[in-house]
Amino acid sequence: MSSQIQGRYFGARGPLFRLYILTSFLTLVTVGIYRFWAKTRIRKYIWSSVSGDGDSFEYTGTGLEKFLGFLAAIVILAVYLGIVQMALFYFGLNLFVDPQTQGQELAQIGAIYITLLAVLPLMLFAQYRARRYKMARSRWRGIRFGMENGAWGYAIRALAFYVLNAMTLGLLNPLATFQLEKYMADRSWYGDGKFVQPGRWQDLYAGMKHVFIGLGVIVVSFFLLAIMAASSGVGGAIIGGIAIFVGIIWLLIGLAYYRVYAFNYLTRHKVLDGEVTFDARMETGQVLRIFIVGSIIISVLMGVVFGVIGGVSVTMNEALLTGNIPLLVFIAALYMAAFLIAGGLSLVMITQPVIEHAVNNLHVYNADHLNTIQQRAADAGADAEGFADALDVGGAI
Amino acid sequence: MQVLGRFFDGESGQRLDVDLAVDTAAETLRLTHPDLPLGSQYWPLDAIRALADHARTDQAVLSLRADAALDSGLIRTARLTIDDADMISVLTRLCPDLNRRDVARGTGRKVATRVGAAAAALCLMIFVILPAMANTLATLIPIEREVAYGKTVVNQMERFLGGKEVGGLACTNPEGRAALDKMTARLTEAGDLRYDLNIGVFNHKMVNAFAAPGGQIIIMRGLIDRAGTPDEVAAVLAHEIGHVEARDTTRNALRAAGSAGLLALVLGDFAGGSAVVVAAEYTLNASYTREAEAAADVFALDMMEAAGADAEALATFFDSLGNIERTLPDLPEYLSSHPETTDRADAARSFAKTQGRTTPILTDQEWAALQNICKTSES
Repeated sequence: MSSQIQGRYFGARGPLFRLYILTSFLTLVTVGIYRFWAKTRIRKYIWSSVSGDGDSFEYTGTGLEKFLGFLAAIVILAVYLGIVQMALFYFGLNLFVDPQTQGQELAQIGAIYITLLAVLPLMLFAQYRARRYKMARSRWRGIRFGMENGAWGYAIRALAFYVLNAMTLGLLNPLATFQLEKYMADRSWYGDGKFVQPGRWQDLYAGMKHVFIGLGVIVVSFFLLAIMAASSGVGGAIIGGIAIFVGIIWLLIGLAYYRVYAFNYLTRHKVLDGEVTFDARMETGQVLRIFIVGSIIISVLMGVVFGVIGGVSVTMNEALLTGNIPLLVFIAALYMAAFLIAGGLSLVMITQPVIEHAVNNLHVYNADHLNTIQQRAADAGADAEGFADALDVGGAI
Repeated sequence: MQVLGRFFDGESGQRLDVDLAVDTAAETLRLTHPDLPLGSQYWPLDAIRALADHARTDQAVLSLRADAALDSGLIRTARLTIDDADMISVLTRLCPDLNRRDVARGTGRKVATRVGAAAAALCLMIFVILPAMANTLATLIPIEREVAYGKTVVNQMERFLGGKEVGGLACTNPEGRAALDKMTARLTEAGDLRYDLNIGVFNHKMVNAFAAPGGQIIIMRGLIDRAGTPDEVAAVLAHEIGHVEARDTTRNALRAAGSAGLLALVLGDFAGGSAVVVAAEYTLNASYTREAEAAADVFALDMMEAAGADAEALATFFDSLGNIERTLPDLPEYLSSHPETTDRADAARSFAKTQGRTTPILTDQEWAALQNICKTSES
């Protein structure tokens, strides 16, 4: 047993893709009910692909408990959402009188679909609960991870930080990133070993540099564009337009850089049980490469597939319009299959490689201390992640 | 030959490299290590389970049959990782229930209770609370807001039907408009209406007409083309006025705002999920609108009667609708938002029998003008 452990990822594309297609198909034919089992099986695969010092992680969650948790959440959400949505729609109707312009009309439609605001606190609550559930169902060497209760505290803080962030035009983004991660990390456990998150939120500003450069380029070129357009006309406008485009691309890459930078920084400063430390060496370039290559391959493949399906539907237009039901079903099935394949490809060509990159570049120091960790009492998280499932938060896996 | 396995007791993070031996007579797997209590452990072969969906094919992770617990986090068992291919194949052969998923006792009952509670909450919301709220809110909403919303709906519909801009599909032939206005006036002169009607014709081949909140009514050109007499158009118009007066569309929009979110919640975001949401919402909507359609028919018949027009026109129009529907495969009644057209035609016919003398809604010349409402006037 070594005192330093480097993470290794063993997952492969083929088996995961097949698992995704199989479970998605079962989800489809069960009108969505199988999705709890589907997600669980994908997680089991990915967790078991992660290995430290030869010992694989294990995901012990079950589809059944997710299903049961979802049912419990439905009872609460049905009442809350039904009433809130209708009330918001009603007030949306009252906001405007006679829409005269396209803009007003859009605003009115926007007001009607403002429901998101009503569920945002619940979504944040669910986000914490989902992470807590995943921690409670993760094991390594038979020892459970865990997280203390604190979902409402998280939701309130997150709301406050988001408001603060919006009011300062994103200047305080590092504060929000750091404090929210700290809130969760300081409540996390591996067995009876507690995680802590030291570090300074100001340190994350170094990761914001490309965001600021991108924003700077956009702002400056806007001003230049305004000045040039007034004086020199078309030529200046084209240059200004290109500069803004460059600024936007820079900003997007800068956001990716920030996320990777923050992940590395926060991981590097975590301490487990006062002894075990970590290092993360993710590279923005690698992550972007995975993302760009994956996206290009998927969009080209899907472009061809949808093009063929579209072509078939157009040539059979006459038959479709006269209500040829078997043909309609056939084309609908083709579309569904294409969507399934696109989802599976994005899992194995983007999500999994990014996880693989993160795991392979994770180092654990002073790992001998892990032998002394004892099992923790189980967290009874009765609703699994019912709210997260119902509100669809939590991302790809 | 010595075969090692990595054993974790589920109590501490300590890894023990245990010696493994299968005892076929006793049907057990023996784990031996000096640090184990009593030096060794015996795992019955029929109680050994392999972890499912394990990514690595070069190893197997085994556990003992999980103790019964619905909450998977509470299950506390040891883990044994085996890398030796021969041992894995031996165990695969000898363990009868290696890939079995054990389910705790009482699971069925628990699932049934939860499904029941969730279904009850949803049904209560969708069939009782939301419709009741929608009824109340529909009467509370100020008419001018309703009109504003209705115009938005009409504009969206126009864009959906292929209109390039607002008013792009509207038919404005002056003589046709005059005929339409006369028809509207004849229908409405007898009664007092809550809404100022705003009736338009869209240049579209669909055989349909619809009402939007706040007195907006749109007739498609296809409907006028298909109608045999102006009275048939008038009957359909009266039917739509019935919807307007009953605030059906406002109520539907309010109710749908509540229930669409709920349906999306239940069905989740799997591929094709949104299609199912749309279908479910349609079915749900149809069950509400069937009553509303019947009420609008009654309203239309009364309106025709009050205008001194032949109510049988509604029946003849349904007859021609029935011909279209027959060319499509039969939909079950609950899927179709309009009650069986033959039933509705029969109801209209028996109503018409009780009528006295009637006069046509428009003169032949006006009817011709209405039929040409979508042609630009040649002058």
